[in-house]
Amino acid sequence: MKTETYTLNLGPQHPSTHGVFRIILELDGETVVKATPVPGYLHRGIEKLAEARTYTQVIPYTDRMDYMAAMLMNWGYVAAVEKLMDIEVPERAEYVRVIVGELSRIASHMIATGAYGGDIGALTAFTYTFRDREYVLDLLEMVSGSRMTFSYFRIGGVAADLPEEFFPAVRKFLGELPAMCDEYDGLITGNEIFQARTKQVGIITPEMGINYSLSGPTLRGSGVNYDLRKVRPYGIYDRFDFDVPLGQNGDCFDRFRIRIDEMRQCKRIIEQALDQIPEGPIMAKVPKVIKPPVGDAYAEVESSKGVYGCYVVSDGSPKPYRVHFRRPSYINLGYLGKLCEGWKIADVIAILGSIDIVLGEVDC
Amino acid sequence: MFGQGLIKGLQITWGRMFDKKQTVKYPFEKIEMFPRYHGRFELDVDKCIACGLCANACPNKVIQLEKEKVDKKQFLTKYIMRIEYCLFCGLCVEACNKDALKFSNIIDMNQYRRSWVRLTLVDRPAPEPTETPEEETPAKEAKSEAAAGQAPGKEG
Ligand code: SF4
Ligand code: SF4
Repeated sequence: MKTETYTLNLGPQHPSTHGVFRIILELDGETVVKATPVPGYLHRGIEKLAEARTYTQVIPYTDRMDYMAAMLMNWGYVAAVEKLMDIEVPERAEYVRVIVGELSRIASHMIATGAYGGDIGALTAFTYTFRDREYVLDLLEMVSGSRMTFSYFRIGGVAADLPEEFFPAVRKFLGELPAMCDEYDGLITGNEIFQARTKQVGIITPEMGINYSLSGPTLRGSGVNYDLRKVRPYGIYDRFDFDVPLGQNGDCFDRFRIRIDEMRQCKRIIEQALDQIPEGPIMAKVPKVIKPPVGDAYAEVESSKGVYGCYVVSDGSPKPYRVHFRRPSYINLGYLGKLCEGWKIADVIAILGSIDIVLGEVDC
Repeated sequence: MFGQGLIKGLQITWGRMFDKKQTVKYPFEKIEMFPRYHGRFELDVDKCIACGLCANACPNKVIQLEKEKVDKKQFLTKYIMRIEYCLFCGLCVEACNKDALKFSNIIDMNQYRRSWVRLTLVDRPAPEPTETPEEETPAKEAKSEAAAGQAPGKEG
């Protein structure tokens, strides 16, 4: 029988695209023959804007990339400038960075978990994770004054010290975190319908994951043990004892599951950081006008979505000559077209959700 | 057994059904924000010396200030924040070393019209100088200086 394929436009205004993302699907019946991702609807030209700002003024713009884990976005940028200027960050500031960074990671993974449940049809899960995320945002608001776009990191340290009331509050939250994760597991992970929708769907083999330069939970879901915090520790991550959760099959279910496990590991890291945190200054001695020497620097951190890198070129003036961000969501999306081929339309949603993209970061 | 996971999920939602409410009826009830919260700006006019450091620190050119020289002192006549462009990053507050500009924890800045959003913190005429002014020019110079102060660098 001779059949014809047809084109279906998914997005950019589709709730499961996590923002404004468009995929043009060529379908044979319900089966995807070809998928063409079309990013760019949220492009704001942050890299270009940075060229007209001073080094410190770029920090608020980095917040607007992955606004789900804005602390980690700040970190990559300031790390690059610090490398360029050879600034030694004080011990206490490093610990503060780890604490707020890991809290940000928890907040981001909570969204990923809940939103994925919503994508698959378990909208209840969404309300549960968002309720708990508010507790994390409360903590971060206590520290930075904002709930989403923190702008808390500074070149050479952090903007302000942790307030007194933060310590009991974060301990209380960490005490409740395992119960929250158990709740998600009970609600979503153990749900048979959810498993039927996600197990053995959208399999990424370890080879393909590496070939396409995937990173973060998307890569680790395939069993590749690659976490920057372990393989190339930056900051003070070599002082903490934690595990890197890995998947076995590389399917949507594994990618989803390891995010919940990662939250449990974040708890271990934060607890150790709280125990070890020394007294001391939170800012290095940095000149008022930041003028790095001529040259360039590249720094990477493990963000909640994968390896987030920042490349800064200086021409010796108070403004960066060029800033480039390696955004993990964007690079992880590179494999989406291939990955969707051969699956049904409903699976496309499951696959896209499991990669956990955030459009602010994809389009930058 | 198939279905066990579904039953467990139902148990969790049933258990939560009689929990304390997590939300409040905004705007009738409000949650207290933390002391560091980045809310509406406040300017202590008496402390402000119209130095323009805050305007220079802002990445989005939100702050527009005008000043006049009265009796050899800078007098702040206008302090307007184009709050619709504000990133609430706090760099301006950090830059002010006279402790004049601060965040309050007022969260509701919504307006019915876009033109009402603009935040005018100071708008007042300069007082008559007590001594007789030598000439008009110094005040004018100060004004153009202030205008230059608001535009850090080229447009992005
Ligand atoms: S908070 Fe940031 S964007 Fe807003 S006025 Fe201050 S410096 Fe400018
Ligand atoms: S930095 Fe402070 S003192 Fe200077 S103009 Fe701004 S608010 Fe006034």
